[in-house]
Amino acid sequence: MSSQKKRSSRIEPFRHRVETDPNFFEKAWRKLEDAIGEIYNHNASGLSFEELYRTAYNMVLHKHGPKLYDKLTENMKGHLQEMRTSIEAAQGGLFLEELQRKWDDHNKALQMIRDILMYMDRTFIPTNKKTGVFDLGLELWRDTIVRSAKIHGRLLDTLLDLIHRERMGEVINRSLMRSTTKMLMDLGSSVYQDDFERPFLEVSASFYSGESQRFIECCACGEYLKKAQQRLDEEAERVSQYMDAKTDEKITAVVVKEMLANHMQRLILMDNSGLVNMLVEDRFEDLTRMYSLFQRVHDGHSTIKSVMTSHVKETGRNMVTDPERLKDPVDFVQKLLNEKDKYDSIVTTSFSNDKSFQNALNSSFEYFINLNNRCPEFISLYVDDKLRKGMKEANEEAVETVLDKVMMLFRYLQEKDLFEKYYKQHLAKRLLSGKAASDDSERSMLVKLKTECGYQFTSKLEGMFTDLKTSQDTTQGFYAASSDLGDAPTISVQILTTGSWPTQPCSPCSLPPEILGVSEMFRGYYLGTHNGRRLTWQTNMGTADIKAVFGNGSKHELNVSTYQMCVLMLFNLVDCLTYRDIEQTTAIPAVDLKRCLQSLALVKGKNVLRKEPMSRDISDNDNFYVNDKFTSKLFKVKIGTVATQKESEPEKMETRQRVEEDRKPQIEAAIVRIMKSRRVLDHNSIVTEVTKQLQPRFMPNPVVIKKRIESLIEREFLERDKNDRKLYLYLA
Amino acid sequence: MGLGGGRVRFNVGGQVFETTTTTLANAGRDSMLGALLDSSWNLAPTISGGGGGGGGGGVAEYFIDRNPACFAVLLDLLRTGSLHVPPQLPEKLLYREALYYGLLDHVRAARWGAFDGDRLLLAASVPGRAPGDGTAIRAAPDGGCCVAHGGAVHVYNWMLDERRPVSLDHSQVNDVAYLDEGTLLIAARERLGSMMEAWPCSPRFNEYGIGVWDRASGEQADFFYEPPGCALGDADKLQWLDATNALMVATLFPKTDNCFIGLLDFRQKNVVWSWSDAGTAASLDDKRVLHAIAMEDERSVCVINQYDDLGFLDFRSNAGGVRWSSRSKLMNRKVPGEESCYPKLSTHGGQLFSSMNDSISVFSGPECVLTSTLRRSNGGAICDFSIGGDRLFALHNEENVFDVWETPPPPII
Repeated sequence: MSSQKKRSSRIEPFRHRVETDPNFFEKAWRKLEDAIGEIYNHNASGLSFEELYRTAYNMVLHKHGPKLYDKLTENMKGHLQEMRTSIEAAQGGLFLEELQRKWDDHNKALQMIRDILMYMDRTFIPTNKKTGVFDLGLELWRDTIVRSAKIHGRLLDTLLDLIHRERMGEVINRSLMRSTTKMLMDLGSSVYQDDFERPFLEVSASFYSGESQRFIECCACGEYLKKAQQRLDEEAERVSQYMDAKTDEKITAVVVKEMLANHMQRLILMDNSGLVNMLVEDRFEDLTRMYSLFQRVHDGHSTIKSVMTSHVKETGRNMVTDPERLKDPVDFVQKLLNEKDKYDSIVTTSFSNDKSFQNALNSSFEYFINLNNRCPEFISLYVDDKLRKGMKEANEEAVETVLDKVMMLFRYLQEKDLFEKYYKQHLAKRLLSGKAASDDSERSMLVKLKTECGYQFTSKLEGMFTDLKTSQDTTQGFYAASSDLGDAPTISVQILTTGSWPTQPCSPCSLPPEILGVSEMFRGYYLGTHNGRRLTWQTNMGTADIKAVFGNGSKHELNVSTYQMCVLMLFNLVDCLTYRDIEQTTAIPAVDLKRCLQSLALVKGKNVLRKEPMSRDISDNDNFYVNDKFTSKLFKVKIGTVATQKESEPEKMETRQRVEEDRKPQIEAAIVRIMKSRRVLDHNSIVTEVTKQLQPRFMPNPVVIKKRIESLIEREFLERDKNDRKLYLYLA
Repeated sequence: MGLGGGRVRFNVGGQVFETTTTTLANAGRDSMLGALLDSSWNLAPTISGGGGGGGGGGVAEYFIDRNPACFAVLLDLLRTGSLHVPPQLPEKLLYREALYYGLLDHVRAARWGAFDGDRLLLAASVPGRAPGDGTAIRAAPDGGCCVAHGGAVHVYNWMLDERRPVSLDHSQVNDVAYLDEGTLLIAARERLGSMMEAWPCSPRFNEYGIGVWDRASGEQADFFYEPPGCALGDADKLQWLDATNALMVATLFPKTDNCFIGLLDFRQKNVVWSWSDAGTAASLDDKRVLHAIAMEDERSVCVINQYDDLGFLDFRSNAGGVRWSSRSKLMNRKVPGEESCYPKLSTHGGQLFSSMNDSISVFSGPECVLTSTLRRSNGGAICDFSIGGDRLFALHNEENVFDVWETPPPPII
């Protein structure tokens, strides 16, 4: 005491403290202890906060902080042990409720205890790095109650049992579940995870592994997926109702793994109900579900995709190689279009327009369409069918959509140049016979081809249209210029540029004198206006309108081909002609002549000629008469030529040959272009580059490329490197 | 708070105060007053005057056994948000009472305003007791500071009470940094100079290069070896640049004859930008870079020479020289021969601060115009200063005293 008095004045206030009651701490603590007891007994109303706060403050101020902290810990532990006894005593379903009630009590008490000890919380605890009062209370609850030997396992079992019962369809007290899991979360995320979440996930895994095993034995794929979806929804709903949001992801992963990932192959490949079946039966809803469920599984989509691809390829291959189907090209292409439509709508509606699925589909179609090398021809025939006059689709818009779809198929074609060949032939026929339904549709098809393959591809086709236009003008010009024609037949001349049109070598037949006169005058007119041109009559391509008066007095206008006209004109002079006579006079090639006689004499209802004998085939000595008994309801009679729409086998070979010939210069041009820029290149690189350049039109065969290179070497465009034989050099 | 009428009456040490629950709500639930009024403690509050809880005139009265004068100040703080301390009331007393009520943070927040270099006033001069010169002063994020003195670090809280000093068994403390309000990082001299800078990671260096320590675990995470031609081993200044993810290292006169400033990229382990005056400085009178600091926009570095000229180096050009902006003529040159300290630089909130002899100059704006000078009549040259927690601390060389500069709260009108 005396020594302290000598200290500086700053310390003076401390003198009073030394005189304080030596039992100060005990007394003060008893006060707090009693108060805490009252608080736990729900009897706090008689307590003075100010007094308790001040007491606690004084204890800390007098350096009793550590002791106070220890006493508090001990005291709370005592209260919690009492609570534990009462929780342990709770029976059956009351257990959770009792736990919950005690937790609420403890929380409330803890709040008030913290209020009293707020000063300690602010000063003593941070400087001494102790756990704050509130957290201390939570820790004590955790260790004394939640993790106590008798409660720990029972709590977990109760929770898991309730969840299991809910999964089995029972209704449980969700709010109690919610508050219990909330308690675990309040105790810290590690408590929630260790004491509830992990065991919960383990139990769920075994539950779903068993359930999925049961389901897969007895359910079809679609039904199974419906159940899996339902379980997933249930679990998500359960988490949102009474678990931590972070559990959502984990439990979903468990269900996905047990119900979907572990059975993925079996589900997708399931007989009679798997993916293939869904595709065949257009089960959009099931497909949508499969797509969305397997999105969650690693490799899920790629598995679906590969199964779908192989199915499409398989059915496609059967479709294009089935000889039955090849008989009707239009129907064949229509089937392809339907198939494409079907899968497009599956991808759009069920596979959420997934780009990778679209690509897979495209490559499958490309694969099987090119399995049949007649596809280019058939597609062109299909277009021909749609663009011909008199088809059902009079509506131009409908034609337009059909054409758009055809372009999809066209894109899959590797031999686009073959298509071009056929398309040219078919277009020529349409244009010359005047059967093109609508100029607009024709032009729109051209524009589509142009955007797809570029200017080069369509330049000749466009040339055909221009030819027809100028021909019209020329014919008009001819009639305007020549006034001395008298009563000669009217002719309409179509001047076709060589090269733009598919021409067959044809020996011109001898025209009837009436026509010959006019046509020679036209030749004179044309060559007079255009210098240095050559005009050849393509008599195999024209048509004529003839007025005919039959023996029975009936008058008709006959629409016939040029060849048929030549034949019919002969009967102006004589009544009966033999085949040989006709052949000699008209000089029509035998095949064509036979065909045109067949159509004149043997088609019922259009038999303007009569043949003797009445057999189907025409032989050299057959006699032909004008059929005096010819009648027809129509004034105008159109006499078609017996023609084959589809190419015959030799024709097909010929077209192929021609296409192969046409490809040679293209390949050579590509090689030269590449070598010109690269100067030196090895064989494989050339093949790759050439293939890349020509791919939009056709797939060049490497063997052909090799032959072309050799030919170019022969013609001294290229040479082999003297040191490295694999390299080619460009010779400028 | 479940009290009728919203009025509250306190009897503090015999003096009655009346206020509203709204005013008291400003104290927050985590204060003594917040707890006092909380419903869990007011199941049956003492009612005076009105009699009966439901009565319209019933006002609760709470007795608090504390100093009424301080309560008046604190209640005023809760009402107005500003702190007015009567001259006769000792500050320490007020702080103690504020701590009792749990309102110390409120007091601190109202005690001084947001930092503005041009409005700084000298708030306190704290004399030190340690012998010899202080080497460094560092501001804490909450307004406290610490002073490195030989082998000890003296720590002060924001009320400028000295806490228990940290001493490191006679080894020389080189530099100090606050990791947060409660954690201090101290670099001591082991063999050669070493120093730290507390940024996302804490680099320090020895004679060979710069090491990186994880600030949470304290383990060494990385080491940057000194590349040839770049003197990293005894750098004066390390500064972490957030935007570029690089560390600025400056090795300066008088530690070396040739100054070197570089930017290190720790991911690629290379020097991405560097500048050196090697070869340009021939005589002692030439301008020599004595301190450097990267500007806050992280596009340039500001340097200072022995004539207190400021210079700037642009990080974006690699070969550029120092753009000096001479301000010697603005300043009153000190009589040569008197002991002086090397100048130091610092930046805060777009302002640049440079210490020079016994004053600190404040430069503002993109052109760095001199806007204020902080000077005190005595105390001698300033050997170090630091800005943090809205305060500026300046450590004087001669008298071992440090000054606290702070911005006064905003004016009433």
